[in-house]
Amino acid sequence: MATRPAAAEGELKPESGGGGGGGVGEKKRKGGALPLEVGTRVNCRWRDGKDHPVKVIERRRMQGGGPNDYEYYVHYTEFNRRLDEWVKLEQLDLDSVETDVDEKVEDKATSLKMTRHQKRKIDESHVEGHEELDAASLREHEEFTKVKNIATIELGRYEIETWYFSPFPPEYNDTMKLYFCEFCLNFMKRKEQLQRHMRKCDLKHPPGDEIYRSGTLSMFEVDGKKNKVYGQNLCYLAKLFLDHKTLYYDVDLFLFYILCECDDRGCHMVGYFSKEKHSEEAYNLACILTLPPYQRKGYGKFLIAFSYELSKKEGKVGTPERPLSDLGLLSYKGYWTRVLLDILKKHKSNISIKELSDMTAIKAEDILNTLQNLDLIQYRKGQHAICADPKLMERHLKAAGRGGLEVDVSKLIWTPYKEQG
Amino acid sequence: MSRLSFRPRPLDIHKKLPIVKSVKDFEDEDTPTTATTTSTRNSQLLRLAAEADNEGGGGGGVQQVTIKKSVSEIPTPQFVVVDSYERDYSRTFSQPTSYLRGRGARAELGEFVEYDLDNEDEDWLVDFNNERKIITPEKLENLLFKLEVLDHKTRERAGVITPTLGSPIPVLLQLEAAYEALQSLSVRYAIFQSVYNYWKAKRERWQKPVLRRLQPPPPVNDTNPYNVFRPREKAHRLHTRRMQRRENNVQSFEKLRQVRRNLDQAKTVLEALIKREEKKREVMECEVSIQRIQMKYKNETQLIEDGLALGQFPCKYASSEDDFADSDDMMNSRQRVRPASVHNPIFTDSKLVMVPPGRLKQELRSQPLSHGWLHRKDPNAPVFLFTRPVDPEKLAAAGIRPPSDPPLENGGTAPLFRFRGRIGRGGRIIFDRCNSLLQNQIGHDITSFVPSDSRPPHG
Repeated sequence: MATRPAAAEGELKPESGGGGGGGVGEKKRKGGALPLEVGTRVNCRWRDGKDHPVKVIERRRMQGGGPNDYEYYVHYTEFNRRLDEWVKLEQLDLDSVETDVDEKVEDKATSLKMTRHQKRKIDESHVEGHEELDAASLREHEEFTKVKNIATIELGRYEIETWYFSPFPPEYNDTMKLYFCEFCLNFMKRKEQLQRHMRKCDLKHPPGDEIYRSGTLSMFEVDGKKNKVYGQNLCYLAKLFLDHKTLYYDVDLFLFYILCECDDRGCHMVGYFSKEKHSEEAYNLACILTLPPYQRKGYGKFLIAFSYELSKKEGKVGTPERPLSDLGLLSYKGYWTRVLLDILKKHKSNISIKELSDMTAIKAEDILNTLQNLDLIQYRKGQHAICADPKLMERHLKAAGRGGLEVDVSKLIWTPYKEQG
Repeated sequence: MSRLSFRPRPLDIHKKLPIVKSVKDFEDEDTPTTATTTSTRNSQLLRLAAEADNEGGGGGGVQQVTIKKSVSEIPTPQFVVVDSYERDYSRTFSQPTSYLRGRGARAELGEFVEYDLDNEDEDWLVDFNNERKIITPEKLENLLFKLEVLDHKTRERAGVITPTLGSPIPVLLQLEAAYEALQSLSVRYAIFQSVYNYWKAKRERWQKPVLRRLQPPPPVNDTNPYNVFRPREKAHRLHTRRMQRRENNVQSFEKLRQVRRNLDQAKTVLEALIKREEKKREVMECEVSIQRIQMKYKNETQLIEDGLALGQFPCKYASSEDDFADSDDMMNSRQRVRPASVHNPIFTDSKLVMVPPGRLKQELRSQPLSHGWLHRKDPNAPVFLFTRPVDPEKLAAAGIRPPSDPPLENGGTAPLFRFRGRIGRGGRIIFDRCNSLLQNQIGHDITSFVPSDSRPPHG
């Protein structure tokens, strides 16, 4: 790959050796001068070494650079916003800066003719996973969350790259990295501050009751009202990895279920889910997150299964709060598929959707959607029927992925939350 | 669903569905393959993935590919291991056999120093210490923490604690009071004073407490999206109907008062509405009376002109409403006409004799029958409204004769009936039969129409 010549503002440098170009002599660049304007579309080299189309979201002057040296915060249009990042000018292919011609193209999916800009908007909205938000909320959401503030965090054993903006207090706007105490989740700007904190922090597990323990896996229940600072810290932390989480309201009305792996250093959080104390819409889960270092190990599915076990103990049917993230939706579909198909494989006689719902605490609507999406509900001879062909079931089960870690209900010691006095 | 040509009945979740073990049962019914239906129903994500891979194959294949594709779109998170971890985190945790119980928040226990030095504090300390180690970071941390707590207590006692962040929060704690309260920390006064001044200056810059726990949340109506953790009213409980969850506070009271006001206003409006409708009815009745009187008056003058009036108050004809009450009263037989039909002005100009529908019941009753009727000399004069006198010659010319007397039931042939012809509504020619009982009234040219049911006459 040819190196990209750095160009000072307004000045055009001839291309040096290597790729494509002609000899000496000024070559006019498409798309205008530097610094690039916000909204510019251009190709950028990503961590995989290849060029990808991006859109410039923000720009800022480089610290210690010249008056015309800028860094650019870009959004990779093919990917989710979590991959947005600050890049240097060198990573951008200035030859690919787009001029603003809005040509007509044909959308392959619908065979409709539309302008390039219109098509782009549709394609990008598919990838974003924002289908469930209406247009106005989406705009508003994107507007104030467009630039990640904290890029990296240190939490316990791992240093993790963040995915999304999180509304930390304004005092923290001047830093790109935060250090979290892994037990009380207090956050600090410098490593020394964290180390000092660790010397005095006596917490070795989440502040709350342990309600489940099986092997090295433990689940703690934390009341947002009793441990407000912890609850808020957890929300700040989780927001870094959840796009649509909102911190608008206080944590008082929530319970937090923290999943931990325990060893001789303490109970280390691997993931959590939050739940409203009282939900009108029968939500049995508000936000769910497995921390990045622990993903793809079955913890997420454990959390989902656990949320339904709580619902069963409460005697209520439940459903996760929408919108679900792309990862979340996948996990839930997998869970619903496995649970329902396991029952259908073994069940002998007829069964109603309501019965399935009572057995699993899964909302009837979710059951119906799952079975319909798997094409297991057919209409024949004037009535509906469920297809439980073993081969078909196996195929679906395989596609749904492995089950997560199992919840051993006998190890759950818990009574549903009750308001005190 | 499989067929697009008709829509199946919606699925009832309470109804037991048969579980069919074989796919073949469905294939007999000529359902399309799963692939098509999958693609018509799946979310945008799956469809997009299917297109991207140009996959059109079997159902399971699409599922597998789509999941793989969406997984590959979700990038693997980037993380590395912190090398100082083993040093920073000591292996001092021993898990008890029973499940751990949570204790209250550390703030409540009071011992723990909740405050951690931030960048400003550390930088100031380095300056202040100036290589001399005047105070340790832990000491500074402790001092700042205690100053914050003491200031909070001072503001509490002064009654200025706000539940949400409205205006800047000034420092109320005085240096002397602070020093006295923190004597046990055995800090030299000069040092204490420096720390106090630094802290106070910081507070002035921040305009709010430095310790996060003591910072009031933003007000509920603050729309700045960067401000978080607004207090939420316990709206959840209000929405449930359970009585024990009902709030009993000023807001509920105000709301109930408002409800009461609204109900009172609604009541007033309804009462006014009733009055209006009653007035309307009265107006209507008055108009009707006026019309009747007008008609009567018009008719009177016409009759006088026609020379038919006999000096009595001639026209007492009941309206149809009154008829029903008096339908059995033969003495006061009267015409039944619809009042509405009188209002047609066309007829007032014709040579028809209008029989006004309205009448003054009281007057009729008080007068003997002979006065109550319009005496017409001409037996052929029409009695009903809109009727014309019948011209017997014309009828004969057209071949219409009055019907002959029917035979008596017992075989007699006494003419019991006399037929009177007239032209009725719509131009019909009607021969009325006069009832034998009323023969004495025939001369008066009465046709009493006594409906056996209470329906008004139709033309």
